[in-house]
Amino acid sequence: MDSFVTSAGFEKTFRYIKLIEQGLLVTVMLAACTVVIGFILGIILALMRMSDVRPLRFLAYDRKGHVRNNKFLISLSKVNPVSFFAAAYVEILRSTPVLVQIMIIYHGVFGKLIDLPNFTIFGFLKFNRFIPGVVALGMNSGAYLCEIIRSGIQSIDGGQTEAARSLGMTQGQTLSNIILPQAIKNILPAIANEFVVIIKESSICYTIGVQELMFAVDAIRGANFIIMEPLLVATAIYFCLCFPTSKIIAYFERRMSRGDKR
Amino acid sequence: METSVKLIQVKNLKKHYNKGAIRALDDVSVDVEKGEVLVVIGPSGSGKSTFLRSLNLLEVPTNGEIIFHDIDITKKKFLNKHGKVEKVDINFHRQKMGMVFQHFNLFPHKTILDNMILSPVKVLKMPKAEAVEKALMLLKRVGLEDRAGAYPIQLSGGQKQRVAIVRALMMEPEVMLFDEPTSALDPEMVGEVLEVMKELAKSGMTMVVVTHEMGFAKEVASRVMFMDEGKILEMGTPEQIFDHPKHPRLQEFLSKVL
Repeated sequence: MDSFVTSAGFEKTFRYIKLIEQGLLVTVMLAACTVVIGFILGIILALMRMSDVRPLRFLAYDRKGHVRNNKFLISLSKVNPVSFFAAAYVEILRSTPVLVQIMIIYHGVFGKLIDLPNFTIFGFLKFNRFIPGVVALGMNSGAYLCEIIRSGIQSIDGGQTEAARSLGMTQGQTLSNIILPQAIKNILPAIANEFVVIIKESSICYTIGVQELMFAVDAIRGANFIIMEPLLVATAIYFCLCFPTSKIIAYFERRMSRGDKR
Repeated sequence: METSVKLIQVKNLKKHYNKGAIRALDDVSVDVEKGEVLVVIGPSGSGKSTFLRSLNLLEVPTNGEIIFHDIDITKKKFLNKHGKVEKVDINFHRQKMGMVFQHFNLFPHKTILDNMILSPVKVLKMPKAEAVEKALMLLKRVGLEDRAGAYPIQLSGGQKQRVAIVRALMMEPEVMLFDEPTSALDPEMVGEVLEVMKELAKSGMTMVVVTHEMGFAKEVASRVMFMDEGKILEMGTPEQIFDHPKHPRLQEFLSKVL
């Protein structure tokens, strides 16, 4: 039986250092773009889920403005399509495998509906594969971040909103100055976890041919018939990306909790 | 007595829950006059907090009118002087009504100074230096000028409530609403907060105070309003209410609390 790893194998692997470097760069770009899209999408979805849009509200009242005694009309008046849409989105995205989502986005949405121009960035990154990967991962993490952000906002005492509104602040000012800073502080550990998951999950993009780290591993395997050595190198690189990320966020967490200490 | 100016007129205010099965406010009408201290007393669940919170629409009434600056602020629109339909800007009206809460509701992620200057700077667009100067002056008035850089958690309950009062004063409100301001405090700290409120009353501030502090009501109130089950059962001067109560429910209430 062959030995588990050989130094010759590592030597061969490092001959492809350029490929690994490119893979690392693509992985970082994938993760960074996904985080931005996911975070913006998450905030929008969270606000949608907590919105109070009830277009059929008038059904609950009769002509004199009294509440009707009709259970069907009352429940119809409580329908919130905006919140329903966001909730449905979150549940569907969370209840299906990310691999399936990424295939649908790549083969379906960008394969049949939208035509992306076929060019490369930095001479190696294929634009029409990178974008579907980012979109799919962003949409997926948006669903998870939505729930994290929503729990964060709802963890803030209602008295905070009341105090801000009683001082004349608008809903938007209250959200950005009072609620979100406290909510984000509370959910920072969960967000850190999600960021790390995004970095790791970006490896799934290799299935649609985005040349990230796992794609480089696979290329090296195909050319040299070695698998453990490039995998171990990739493992080390992923660890070096994820571990500091969670440590950096832990630092910000400590900084933001200044108001908690006596 | 000088002629009274009605600052807030409350007309037939109703707040119902569960299709009218629960009536937190049941046809409440009262005028708040400029410069007066209106103290609202009553057993818990009597609707006194709901009444106070309705005044700046933190609680949206089911029915009735609240007239402030000649505008019914419970409605979405009003007719302006030129006969045009305008939107009611509740944020603008709230600036004119300071509110102090039972649980202080200071912003824990901001220092005392930032708590105070946030709204003047963001809402009134006051220059920051001016806001800071004003905040330090107000903090000095309540003896907390050395705590400007502290975070709320570093303060005692009484100190927090004093900060909450001056935070509301930063907006230069025309009326101050107090929602059981001393109920969450250690007995020792009640005095320092009441002292600030007394001083505020002396300075001519219009105040509506929901409280269980009968001593404060006797000493400071211009009028006392007794509520139970969402209704005003009796209203009058402190002497009338405390020394010659007429309504049997009020007599019963006072026999328990005094």
